[in-house]
Amino acid sequence: MKIYTVAILLSALYLGGCATANTGYYWENYSGTLYSYKQNPTPENRAKHINELRKIIKKAESKSSRVPPGVHAELGYMLAVDGDKVGGGSELRKEASIYPESKTFIERIYLMLGIGDS
Amino acid sequence: MKNIFYIVLAGYLISSCSGLPIQTKGEAYPAMYDDRKPLSVLVIPAINNSTAAEATDFFNVTITEPLSNVGYYTMPVEIVKDIFQQEGIVDSTMIKGLPTSIFKKNFGADAVLFVTINKWDKQYIVIAGNVSVSMDYVMLSTETSEVIWSYSATQTIDTTAESSGFIMLDIISTAITTATTDYVPIAKQVNYQAFTALPHGGYSDLHGLDQEQSISTIMKDAALEEDL
Repeated sequence: MKIYTVAILLSALYLGGCATANTGYYWENYSGTLYSYKQNPTPENRAKHINELRKIIKKAESKSSRVPPGVHAELGYMLAVDGDKVGGGSELRKEASIYPESKTFIERIYLMLGIGDS
Repeated sequence: MKNIFYIVLAGYLISSCSGLPIQTKGEAYPAMYDDRKPLSVLVIPAINNSTAAEATDFFNVTITEPLSNVGYYTMPVEIVKDIFQQEGIVDSTMIKGLPTSIFKKNFGADAVLFVTINKWDKQYIVIAGNVSVSMDYVMLSTETSEVIWSYSATQTIDTTAESSGFIMLDIISTAITTATTDYVPIAKQVNYQAFTALPHGGYSDLHGLDQEQSISTIMKDAALEEDL
């Protein structure tokens, strides 16, 4: 009987939302650098945010976890806007390969930037 | 007697992690557990009805992290903003009237999330500071156009500086603190809090398993009070 009550307690804890989603994403200071750039859109702040996106990607690789949704896409987009269409295209392709559901979104970005789907 | 104690304790534990226990997630948001459940969610840039213009950015830069962390694929808000702007849509209220199928077609999104900031009030009360926030979150299926999830978050967050013991110093430091408080983590906290009522998405270990979790139907309905 005691085992059952312990099981009820444990399942209550689990179903009660105290358990974690375990998506395992490392976001680093994404919000901080993006906010700084929005407040003050200088080339330095833009570079800082691009750098933060690269940091997030490196962190995911070092932890063998998935790069969070949109990070490759955002990096690719910013690089392409800055003129690096090859580097940008490569990051955008990575997004589509990690998250197949992003394919339409990535194609929409290619369309917007006028870069081919290579 | 002991068994009743354990049942009550279990009930308390279920409710304490999620607020007022009025309905389960499965009862409140059935569309999030059947064929209509979304994997990808397009977040529309926040609609700001508050007196604080800066609040729009607080929310736009802090929403993708919590939403992704509960298992959804989501697109960067800044890219979405640029795509809309290119289409001549400069205001998110213009987006409200569009048929949701447009978001499926252009973004491949299964659902679209509208975030409305109704209140972002910073207050100084002598040596205490806080920010009162009120947000509405409404998620629509891009397939059926129906509301599949909604939540209204109303919170007051204390931003009071630590007391020095000297009243005049405290008054000054509170004013400085409230003026320089980094509101970005606060906005992120508000989003995280709201998403505790959101059924977990496909990338989460809890996907499909959190139907019994309790949520407040008052907060679910409050988000829908204004005409969408």
